[in-house]
Amino acid sequence: MAEMRRDFANREELIAYLREQFPRAAAVCDDVPAEPLGGRRAAEERLRAARLRDYAATRNFLDGAVTRLSPYIRYGVLSLAEVKEYALANTRTRDEVEKFINELGWRDYFQRVYVEIGDDIWEDQEEYKTGFGAHEYAEALPDDIRAGQTGVAFIDDQIKALYQTGYLHNHARMWLAAYVVHWRRVRWQAGAAWFLEHLLDGDPASNNLSWQWVASTFSTKPYYYNLENVLKYTGDRYQGDPAAFGHQAFVGSYETIARRLFPRIDLSFDAEPRGKRR
Amino acid sequence: MMTGTVIWLHADNLNPHCAALQAAPGAPAVFVWDEELLDEWKISLKRIVFIYECLLELPVSIRRGDVAAEVAAFAQAHSAQRILTMASPSPRHRLICQRIMQQMPKGSRLEVLRDPPFVETNARLDLKRFSRYWSAVKYDALRGKK
Repeated sequence: MAEMRRDFANREELIAYLREQFPRAAAVCDDVPAEPLGGRRAAEERLRAARLRDYAATRNFLDGAVTRLSPYIRYGVLSLAEVKEYALANTRTRDEVEKFINELGWRDYFQRVYVEIGDDIWEDQEEYKTGFGAHEYAEALPDDIRAGQTGVAFIDDQIKALYQTGYLHNHARMWLAAYVVHWRRVRWQAGAAWFLEHLLDGDPASNNLSWQWVASTFSTKPYYYNLENVLKYTGDRYQGDPAAFGHQAFVGSYETIARRLFPRIDLSFDAEPRGKRR
Repeated sequence: MMTGTVIWLHADNLNPHCAALQAAPGAPAVFVWDEELLDEWKISLKRIVFIYECLLELPVSIRRGDVAAEVAAFAQAHSAQRILTMASPSPRHRLICQRIMQQMPKGSRLEVLRDPPFVETNARLDLKRFSRYWSAVKYDALRGKK
């Protein structure tokens, strides 16, 4: 087979060439964000720009000091080991760096699980702990979710961001995944495949196992949240009457939400169950 | 007699300093867009652009099609019986390695190299839950940090 082109006058020319070479990919979604750029140079710049000392305290906020290194790590442009070494060398104390390295550990962990289970990465690792059987979840992603027109403002905004940028903050991934699986009762596999179409860092290990973690097929209980949690981490974006944002289904304590979502089971209630983990 | 080396790069390791490129500097290298996988995954254009930009910084010939057939043909075109590649957790990578070898002449070798791991451990890790994994590797991962 002939070689593909390597000489491009600029990025627009490259994108036009790839649009023509991969028409089905362009049909899935034609948007290409201005950044991040692929490649080692851009990866090293991003690593040097990482605000590692602020990471632990602010990482759950959508505008927190997250590093956006994940696409580079996913394609091995930066190895986990070198990112870890950089982080150890560029922070002062263990407290400053532990959470960041713990998150790198999640990726290493998921990769190791993938080596063990192979294509079973697409299978439920355990039963759902939601009171529902797998057969009670819809197989396909509903059209309104795919179209980003659920009527839930913070969900629709994240879906648009996913399409336009190929990136979602980790917290937004968890909200979106829990919405799909628990509020809409759709099998996690449908959501995981959808994410893989768009996430620049999409890889079956971290993606699928995180969906399973939210779903409870790879964890001891389901991940869910309430509006208070969303408002806390999204700044002033959605303050005001929840009905004006379509947010009614998220109003209430964790206990109220859990009774609504999982009426057949009795979950024990922490102040903020599961929300602190990642 | 065929004695050369070629490098097969794939999307789980596009690091210009990866062990395969270090082990055979200047050896011809190839990346193949996997048509079968593209059919299955339906990835959008932005993902293709990102990967392609990574490839443009690597000394690599970019192709598309049946990966095993392309890699084997690339090796033979360069009179090579030794192929270097980087490790991948994907079962598809193992399958493609087998298919490459089925298409290479007898006596050929395919070597799967690894970059330094995130943590060095000889212990068999319990992967049932992250917490168990993390408690086993944490000390090593944070090496020496007070």
